[in-house]
Amino acid sequence: MFLDAVIQILQELFEAALLVSVLLALHQQLATAGHPGAALPTAWFWVAIAAGIVGSICYALAMPAVSEWFDYVGQEVTNAVMQLTVIASLFAYCLLLYRRRGRFAGYTLAAGVLLTVIVAFGITREGSEIILYVKGIGDSPTSVTPVLLGGGVAAGIGLSAGILLYFGLLQLPPVWGLRSTLGLLAMFAGNMASQAMLLLNQADWLPATPQVWDSSSLLPEFSIAGQLLYGLVGYEANPSVLQVLAYLTAGLLIATTPLFRSSWQSAPAREGGAVP
Amino acid sequence: MKMRLALWPLWWSFTLLTPVQAAAPELTLVIRDHLFFPATLEVPANQKVRLLVENQDPTPEEFESYQLNREKVIPGNSKTVIFIGPLPPGEYPFFGEFYPKTAQGKVVVK
Repeated sequence: MFLDAVIQILQELFEAALLVSVLLALHQQLATAGHPGAALPTAWFWVAIAAGIVGSICYALAMPAVSEWFDYVGQEVTNAVMQLTVIASLFAYCLLLYRRRGRFAGYTLAAGVLLTVIVAFGITREGSEIILYVKGIGDSPTSVTPVLLGGGVAAGIGLSAGILLYFGLLQLPPVWGLRSTLGLLAMFAGNMASQAMLLLNQADWLPATPQVWDSSSLLPEFSIAGQLLYGLVGYEANPSVLQVLAYLTAGLLIATTPLFRSSWQSAPAREGGAVP
Repeated sequence: MKMRLALWPLWWSFTLLTPVQAAAPELTLVIRDHLFFPATLEVPANQKVRLLVENQDPTPEEFESYQLNREKVIPGNSKTVIFIGPLPPGEYPFFGEFYPKTAQGKVVVK
């Protein structure tokens, strides 16, 4: 029971921890690169986290009702809408940060609201699943202790993974650090778009499309490496055509933002190279 | 309840837009005492199937299958629908993520 709890809770926490740490690393990198207008005030960070927790609780409470919507596929539709909202907000956030990069006016309300939407909708699904799991298991008295302990261990590992990624990204040479961070964000967007397509197909709102590849014998999705890669780059062992197309579209959407492109263009200037 | 009533027009418009739904054969899967009944589901090959999952336990469960690429939380004492397929013949294991020790099953596509 203890190990089951660790695995179950860690799986949900991992994605959320990665999203938050990559966003934090992005702000830190932009601030150190001389864009004080992009520095994130701690208050907004906590607002975003709090919104994610409140969202998770509300979604968990509403789950029985949501499940019945649209002839029992309300969960899929709601999750897909949340994921597509995160992608759109991430896109808008990149545009906004780029516009503010050279200004000293500081972080704006619009940016804070967007960040809150990204984090809240980004972690609500996973958060609500943790709550439902803990609440369900907690009903049998014998499993309360192992589940709470498991939750603690999972929180420790998930948090450590987030911190490790955050400092890892900041340890890289600044130019490559920013490129990696934005690259990860683009892949997060791709993963969310791919998941949204999968969910809408599961709901029968989108048709089934052929499988593009099957690497489940090479690298199973449920293996530790598979799970790590799923969290980082959205690895899937057997994705459909629709999922791959959605992944590429959302990834490219983020990659076309001026913020992303400037991280590749302005490199020579920051490295001290000659730029006209 | 109010929320559901408000969503009725939406529901109808979507039902009308997706007439394919009616064509899928339906199978029922029951969750009781953290076990799946039946533990083996036989499904026709290359055909979409509407899987009606009834959770008779008071606790929530999460239907999960890496092979089927499906994942869905089912609250306690409730039912839900999961569409699967069309699939080529083969065996596709699934499990209950909240009680993986006991809740195990598979879809056999013939």
